[in-house]
Amino acid sequence: MSSQTPTKFDVVVVGAGPAGASAAYLLAKAGYKVLIVERGRGAGTKELFGGKIYAEPLRTVWPDLDKEAPIHRWVTRERISFVKGERVTTVEFKLGRKVAFTTYLTEMAKWMTNKAVESGAILVDEVRVDEIIVENGRVKGIRSGPDTIEADVVVDAEGVNRILLEKLGLAEKIKPDQVALGVKEVINIGKKAMNERLLLDEGEGLAWFMVGDVTAGIPGGGFMYTMKDTIALGLVLHIGKAYEAAKTGELKHTVPMLLEKLRTHPFFSKIWGDADVLEYGAHMTIEGGLRYMPKKLYMPGLVVVGDAAGLLLNTGYTIRGVDYAVYSGKLAAETIIEALESDGPTEENLRKYEERVRESFMFRELVKHRGIEKVMEDPMFFTKLPAMLNILLAKLYEQDYEEPTVLEALLDSVKESDVSLSKFMLKLFSVVSKL
Amino acid sequence: MRIVVGIKWVPNTQAVRFDPKTGTLIRAGVPSIVNPHDFPAIELALRLKDMYGGEVIAVTMAPPSATQGLEHVLGMGVDKGILLTDRKFAGADTLATSYVIAKGIEKISKEIGPVDVAIFGHETIDSSTAHIGAQVASWLGWPYVYYARDAKLVEDGKLRVTRQTEKAVEEYEVNLPAVVATAIKALKPRPVRLSYKLRAKIEKPIIAWNIEDLGLDPRCTGLKGSPTVVANITWMPEVPRKKIVYTPKDPRDAARWILKQLFSDESVAGFLKKALWGEE
Repeated sequence: MSSQTPTKFDVVVVGAGPAGASAAYLLAKAGYKVLIVERGRGAGTKELFGGKIYAEPLRTVWPDLDKEAPIHRWVTRERISFVKGERVTTVEFKLGRKVAFTTYLTEMAKWMTNKAVESGAILVDEVRVDEIIVENGRVKGIRSGPDTIEADVVVDAEGVNRILLEKLGLAEKIKPDQVALGVKEVINIGKKAMNERLLLDEGEGLAWFMVGDVTAGIPGGGFMYTMKDTIALGLVLHIGKAYEAAKTGELKHTVPMLLEKLRTHPFFSKIWGDADVLEYGAHMTIEGGLRYMPKKLYMPGLVVVGDAAGLLLNTGYTIRGVDYAVYSGKLAAETIIEALESDGPTEENLRKYEERVRESFMFRELVKHRGIEKVMEDPMFFTKLPAMLNILLAKLYEQDYEEPTVLEALLDSVKESDVSLSKFMLKLFSVVSKL
Repeated sequence: MRIVVGIKWVPNTQAVRFDPKTGTLIRAGVPSIVNPHDFPAIELALRLKDMYGGEVIAVTMAPPSATQGLEHVLGMGVDKGILLTDRKFAGADTLATSYVIAKGIEKISKEIGPVDVAIFGHETIDSSTAHIGAQVASWLGWPYVYYARDAKLVEDGKLRVTRQTEKAVEEYEVNLPAVVATAIKALKPRPVRLSYKLRAKIEKPIIAWNIEDLGLDPRCTGLKGSPTVVANITWMPEVPRKKIVYTPKDPRDAARWILKQLFSDESVAGFLKKALWGEE
């Protein structure tokens, strides 16, 4: 290698996702020599997420977000549909304030990484990091194939599949009940048809969550987000339960078939049935944030950010991962700058990063909603209740001559959907207290 | 040894769709890649450099977006990238393309240092002509060997090129400078390396030359310099295929059944007889 090419950087960031890019951007802007190493071809190419991102945490890193970022639509409507066969019950909320926008994370991560590169960070893509090098209990750099790069600090932003942290012994091997599988299709509906069929004004967006037998008995749900002129339609499925159900033969469909069934569902397909599917993709996501958090988010010379740090909140009706990733990248960058300006990235100095994470809104939220994923795994919520609701409404509305009283209909639907009323009340309390 | 390797920045044809009305490619949103058949050429060039030292220079005629492709091969260990780029190069057939590339190689020889070997892939996935190697050799007046699987220097400074045809392995010795085109999948390419990619990012060893830098007559480049005319594109009619499901209990019955089905078609039966028993 020629003498011009450095083999040492102040900071090496592993992964050009939202967490890594945010940290890299703030560090490069502060004048540090930053190298971002990304496995995909270009930043963002390994992302799959296409959905809703909360803007305010992002603005703390990217003040010009609203003007410059690849924002598709601001979410002005939230919908939840409870599905039982062809019967669908929908609740819609029109927001009074714009707090979140829709986008494809591929575009967003690329935008963020470009900002980091404009600020002086160097992006090396198409390269896998094989190992985080540790000497005498201190992280010294990274190894990729035959090459090593030294760094004062390594920012581990490797994402949900944290092979490097597992090798370091900081994270345990993934267990199937800690993660979910997200699958997503991009459907080319076109702006005009979308706005007309979903009653959206220019720039307005809809976030739609589907719960019920769209997941064929597997904990999880369906989602649909409106982008500029395409929609992202998908499913999130609990991997552990899906695997069990596939083994026992309870789950008769493959995951792509489940998504196909949702896309061609007689009710939903009215909206996009005539449009082409442009893409299909799958990615793993975290099921329960706190359970997925490594024992430590730092060690001398290392901080862990984003998904790798288990910083994702999934309450069922809302998933917050991108804003948490960005915010953790910010906390990491601030801590690293302080450390490098004082006596270096020691255990003491980098501990402050974890302390800041624990003092932040992210951690408070994760603690508040702790255990929600366990409750959500109960079929009562994602299958039986949606069924009950639809049976109840069917009893009230699908009558030719005589309707039952609401109480009769309620009791019948409880019986038919196999929901125990007392259990239901207890469960409802435990859910509402954690949501 | 100074080795030039020609690469093409092509749309990933697996992702390309055709507009059935106009017969043109729908390239919107289709990511471009380095032509997969160029990788054996890149690998051969890097192996020659590993053995004899010197440098490998990748050359491409393309719009500026091909810089990404050049960066990719720089990441494999290629030393420099030359981007031959000009609006007047657009719409070129293989004649106009090979002309620009040959002139680029001449300029490299004059300004960077004499080129010993120019290596090309067998063909590109987006046009499949396999012309460029031969045409560049003919512009330059250099000997040309194609279907190459390997090459090494031998006595008298000659290059011994191994090529494999259907029935034989042939070895040719040619004087340098020479042009070599590799066979499809002849050599497994090496992966991108962090240090090489980093070097490419920091040293930015990519030079862009336009039509004036090369001193070319615009009547000989791009669409104007291309005598090839695509007269017509017709569509292969979709073959209707029938699906039969046969589920016997005994797998031997299934085997017998499938053979009977295959032999009931005369052309398939003829092919099978020849393939299985050598019967004409």
